Amino acid sequence: MIGIFMLALAALTSVAAYLLGVRRLGLEPARLGAAIGRMLETVGAVLIFLAANLLGAVVLVMALRGVTDRFVSIYVTDDAVWLSLALLQGLVFQWWRAVSGKKADRLLLEERGNLG
Amino acid sequence: MSLDRAFRWTGLVGVALFFATAFTPLAHALSLWMAVEPELVPSDAIVVLGATVSQSGILSAESTRRTNHAIELYQKGLAPRLILLGGTREGGVHEAEIRAKAARLHSIPAEAIITESRARTTREEAARVRDLARSRGIRTVLLVTNSGHMARARPVFERAGFEVRAAPSDTYFAPAAPQARLALMRGLLQELLGWLYYRIAGYA
Repeated sequence: MIGIFMLALAALTSVAAYLLGVRRLGLEPARLGAAIGRMLETVGAVLIFLAANLLGAVVLVMALRGVTDRFVSIYVTDDAVWLSLALLQGLVFQWWRAVSGKKADRLLLEERGNLG
Repeated sequence: MSLDRAFRWTGLVGVALFFATAFTPLAHALSLWMAVEPELVPSDAIVVLGATVSQSGILSAESTRRTNHAIELYQKGLAPRLILLGGTREGGVHEAEIRAKAARLHSIPAEAIITESRARTTREEAARVRDLARSRGIRTVLLVTNSGHMARARPVFERAGFEVRAAPSDTYFAPAAPQARLALMRGLLQELLGWLYYRIAGYA
C-alpha cells in the first residue's frame, strides 16, 4: 500500500514538473526521452562506481587478513554510505564528461572557423 | 560499446531491479525460494551462530531471532546443551554473553550453556565449536541461523565433523514497505555472495 502511495505521489509531482517544463520553461516534450537516457547513464555510472568500491573493499579486506594479523570484517561493505559516495563519484564523473564535451565541441567549432 | 551505452544499459538494469525489488514481492519470493526445511530432531547440542551486537550490548534483530529460536528448541527438549556464539564489536560486550544472559532469564540452567566469543567468521565458528564439542561427545547439532546463511554454514560444520540438522531461525513475512523489501534483498544478495566466496575458496 505504501509503495502504491509513493509511486502515485512521484507520478503526480512528475506530471506537475512536466507541465511546468513545457508551459513555463519552454522545454521540448520530444527531448524527454533523451533526458531519461541521460538519467540512466548517470545511474549506470553510479552503479559502476559502487561495484568498483565494494570490490576494492573486499580485495583490501582479504589482503589485510592475509598479510597482517589484523582482522577486518567483510561486513564493512554493509553500509549505506558506500552508495552515497558512489552517487557523488558518478555525478561528478558524468558532469565532468559533460562540461569537457561542451568545451571540446567549442574547440572543434573554433578550429573549423564556425565560431567567433 | 561506447561508455555512454555501457552506462545506459547498467543504469537500465539497475533501475529495473530497483523497481522490481521495492514495489513487488520479488525479495520475499526469493527468500522463500532460498528457505531451508527445518529438521527438528533430538540432537546432542543446539549451536547458535553469531550475528551482530551493538557496542552498547544490544542484540540485533537477527541475533535476537536466533537466540529466541534456540531457547525455544531447548525448552522443547531437542538437545541438552546450548552453544551460543558471537563476538564483540570494537571492544564492546560479547554477543555470546548477552545471549547466555537471555537464556538464563528463560530458566535454562547455566551448566547447559556454553559460550564462545572468539570466532570472527563462520569458518572460525565451526572450528571453535569442534574444539568445544570434542571433550563433550557432541556429534549431532541443531544449527540455528537464517536460511540464507545456512547454505554456507551447514557444509562448513559438516566438514568440521558434525552431523548437522538445520534449524532455520527465519520468520517469513512479506514486507510491504519498499525500504524493508530493499533491505531483505540486500541481505539475500549478501548471503549469496558469501556462499559463492566460500564455494570458490573451498570452505563449503
